[in-house]
Amino acid sequence: MDEQGGEITLVARKPCFGLPTACPSCLPVYIYLKFAQYPFTLVFNLIRPDSDQIPYVESGTYVAYNNEKGGVIESLKEDGIVDLDFEVHSIPECVSTKAMVNSWLADALMYELWVASDGSSAHKIYYSDLPWPIGKFLYFKQIRIMKQVLGITKANADRREEEIYKRATIAYGALSTRLGDQSFFVENRPTSLDAVFLGHALLTLQALPETSVLRSKLLEYSNLVRYADKLKMEFVETSSSSPIPTFPAYPSSSFSKPGGASSWSSKPKSKPKREKTEEERKFKRRAKYFLVTQLVAVVVFISLLGGSDEAEIELEDNDDDLNYDL
Amino acid sequence: MEGELTLVARKACFGLPTACPSCLPVYIYLKFVQLPFSLDFNVIHPDSDQIPYVESGTYVAYNNEKGGVIESLKEDGIVDLDSEVCSVPEWISTKAMVSSWLADALMYELWVGSDGSSAHKIYYSDLPWPIGKFLYFKQVRIAKQLLGITKENVDRREEEIYRRATIAYEALSTRLGDQSYFFDRPTSLDAVFLGHALFTLQAFPETSILRGKLLEHSNLVRYADKLKLEFVEGGSSSSTPPLHADPSSSFSRRAGSKPKSKPKREKTEEEKKFKRRAKYFLVTQLVAVLVFMSLLGGSDDAEVELEDDDDLSYE
Repeated sequence: MDEQGGEITLVARKPCFGLPTACPSCLPVYIYLKFAQYPFTLVFNLIRPDSDQIPYVESGTYVAYNNEKGGVIESLKEDGIVDLDFEVHSIPECVSTKAMVNSWLADALMYELWVASDGSSAHKIYYSDLPWPIGKFLYFKQIRIMKQVLGITKANADRREEEIYKRATIAYGALSTRLGDQSFFVENRPTSLDAVFLGHALLTLQALPETSVLRSKLLEYSNLVRYADKLKMEFVETSSSSPIPTFPAYPSSSFSKPGGASSWSSKPKSKPKREKTEEERKFKRRAKYFLVTQLVAVVVFISLLGGSDEAEIELEDNDDDLNYDL
Repeated sequence: MEGELTLVARKACFGLPTACPSCLPVYIYLKFVQLPFSLDFNVIHPDSDQIPYVESGTYVAYNNEKGGVIESLKEDGIVDLDSEVCSVPEWISTKAMVSSWLADALMYELWVGSDGSSAHKIYYSDLPWPIGKFLYFKQVRIAKQLLGITKENVDRREEEIYRRATIAYEALSTRLGDQSYFFDRPTSLDAVFLGHALFTLQAFPETSILRGKLLEHSNLVRYADKLKLEFVEGGSSSSTPPLHADPSSSFSRRAGSKPKSKPKREKTEEEKKFKRRAKYFLVTQLVAVLVFMSLLGGSDDAEVELEDDDDLSYE
């Protein structure tokens, strides 16, 4: 446990919906460390909701980021810090099942969080500590990125939705058959596959609204739900005494009041300020670029279409002063 | 099965009966079933996501509906090779891995990680140069978005994509062992992976990283070679004879004459669109400048730059 010298710190997004961290990429890492019974401290980063470096694990000078080397869990395995998959990593089925959870199910969860819902869950998880306009702006930006990643356009939205849910249904069916009555997916002991799927299942069951299609599909498989409940009791809830009390991430009390982020209200207040001025500075700087590029665009366009009649009619009076600016 | 099936796909190339990553698995699937079908080529809509599709009388199964052509054929009870394995969890997860991780890697090499010569040959070589070039760049942008690649993360994403492909090839190689098929007899998983493997081995240049990674697994390469001889052989003897692949020959003539007239139409449409967009462009540029100025009316740096445009800020 001490092989790395110093304790491990997991930096994640904040708790919500009765989960120690309510972010789809942070929860599996949290569960993985719990599975390994590795002591760690949980710290929350509230000011960079759109950073893809989160979650990361720190220990002294060592850092494993989410967006490097296949994610935190893979980095921890590769760097020999915590490896639960040592005996199973060559089993093809283990690899392919993880691929399925990481692609088909991850896509479905992403779709529900960002595209199919009213965004209230996503807003709670990512943006509730930011000033309203910035949160809103980042939210819409993220929706656009998610749609692009899922290949959703206006023309194919319905077809893509159908396909995403279809794949999720197939995946749940396969996982349910595979799991049967076992406690874990592989050889009766926890692996990174369990961490990834348990993270997905808990988020789907607790963070998505009652009306969620994905949630109801998962609820159809009682053995998967039992599995999630059991492991949650064992690894996510009962262990709440061990982490340092500064992070009452999920003590049973904060469950009762879902908005239980009260203990965070002091931290977030100072940090978003800094974010805001940065944002403002960025905005000012961009303002100049924006103006210049707009002017260049118009001038280039006019000069290209110089002979075209429609263009001249519209722009006669602007023609001269615009050119001076360059 | 009433009437003959027609598979409409992208054109033949690289010694493959159809050199498009989404068409080849369908072709192989139909060959596995030993169902007679004719192969038709559509060269004028390289960016349509309806291709490939299968027609039979009034029945059509499109690529972009109901999970793709193979899934539609299964669901509609026309050709189903998977009835025995479709509830086996490992079969499902293996297919998920091939159709996500390996498909991503192939898309990356085809559009982002290469100079695009393979993509150009497959999709755009029958179109006039500027249109082909335009559609190519558009597709590159879409592929980057699908793969979540931005300027900042391109190196990390590349590493991740190749890493996943390597893991997937290893798992497939272990799973296959010395068998002829992944699950005893041909299924849609074999069709999808064989399509991927043949494309990777034949359409990518020698320098391709993905191809190099696949070549490391000799049993996968043997598997691909063997099944190719058995099922795809017809199309591999040379690159022109798209149509030796199937019994009927009427398509060879159509493929030659059709493309010449249609791209013309495409071009004028393109031009019309451009003219129309020109107006929009100008108007939006002006609106953008006006809105921006009115918003930043009080700001100092904006005023310095735009003193003589003052009248605009009255808006």
